[in-house]
Amino acid sequence: MAKVLIAEDDRISGNLLKRYATQWGFQVLSASNGKEAWDIFQNNDIEIAILDWMMPEMDGIELCRRIREEKSEKYTYIILLTSKDDQKDINEGLTAGADDYITKPFNSGELNARLKTGKRIIDMHNKLHKIAIHDSLTKLYNHAQILSILEEEYDRALRENRPLSIIMLDIDLFKNVNDEYGHTIGDAVLVEVAARLQKSLRVYDKIGRYGGDEFLVILPNNNLKNVRSVAERLRCLISGEKIKTDAGLLEVTISLGCTSTESGESRSVEDIVNVSDRALYQAKHRGRDCVMYI
Amino acid sequence: MTEKSDSPKPSPIDMETALERTGGDEEFLFDLIEIFMEDFEPKVAELKSAIKDQNFTSIQEIGHYLKGSSANLSLMQIREVSYQIEIAGKEQNLEQAKENLELLGKEYAYFKEYFADMKK
Repeated sequence: MAKVLIAEDDRISGNLLKRYATQWGFQVLSASNGKEAWDIFQNNDIEIAILDWMMPEMDGIELCRRIREEKSEKYTYIILLTSKDDQKDINEGLTAGADDYITKPFNSGELNARLKTGKRIIDMHNKLHKIAIHDSLTKLYNHAQILSILEEEYDRALRENRPLSIIMLDIDLFKNVNDEYGHTIGDAVLVEVAARLQKSLRVYDKIGRYGGDEFLVILPNNNLKNVRSVAERLRCLISGEKIKTDAGLLEVTISLGCTSTESGESRSVEDIVNVSDRALYQAKHRGRDCVMYI
Repeated sequence: MTEKSDSPKPSPIDMETALERTGGDEEFLFDLIEIFMEDFEPKVAELKSAIKDQNFTSIQEIGHYLKGSSANLSLMQIREVSYQIEIAGKEQNLEQAKENLELLGKEYAYFKEYFADMKK
């Protein structure tokens, strides 16, 4: 159920809005001033915010600016609530980042239509966002997203003084699969490898398709000792069972390079990726289907 | 009522549009009116002290507030007077604020009586 924040100091208008929005299937969170609204916004996944323009503590325009400044993957559709004779407020509000406005006293049919518009925009945004951050073939995070997650996790690990480990892995001699069986079979192998890897990870571990047949696994709060056993487990998961394709059962193996912030070799996100890459290179050099760590 | 005008005083509430706004639910409308009345007196007290302190920002805000909530209930006269108070605050016109404060009291008293009758 979509969450709607109603920030309105006028109790009559607030009650009317709440009643309608609830009736139309929205989950309503109400605030009677800007400050309260800001608190609710920060602690909830608000999809649509209906903000009154003149409120005590913090007015709608300030609230609107704060919501827009907040770096979030989720978009919040903002509807400004204003009086008919406040054309200036409408202009200022839309400039501050409001998506739409409705004048008080509002007409319920119009409110319904505007909320539906908001929901439509949010759904579209979510859909596009999902496409934007995922790899269309394997459904894992794509290159940009897994790196962005790595940056966040790296910062958090430093802040909380916890270890962070990563694994860079790729499919051994993947080019041969494509050359021998064609790209359709190659794709099927990628999909199956991705699925097996993802299934075996904890919910807070993250995996993305880093490049063609390369995958990056992020293991927050994992030290070097743990990452070795995780990597070994992933390796066995692929080599232990042949992959069923339209071209028959294929024997596939992966090579893995691991590193951890604990190793002391990395001082930035670029460093940690480069070190894991080096470890992966060493694994290839050692004859593939093995784990190396630095 | 000591109205001297020949034409009767218009109803303080446009019931048709007010009911339309509550989806035809009279009980809900009455609840909202009760809320309005609950808020009205403290707001007017605030307005009085804002006028006394010549706090124009506060006069404008209270006028705006009363305008909004009365408009939602289609209390047309109260809405108009509240709007005049908002403008008085905006234009820093103390006389206009005082005059309309008085008018507001009268319009509210008229509505209160009307509403009491209506509920019967």
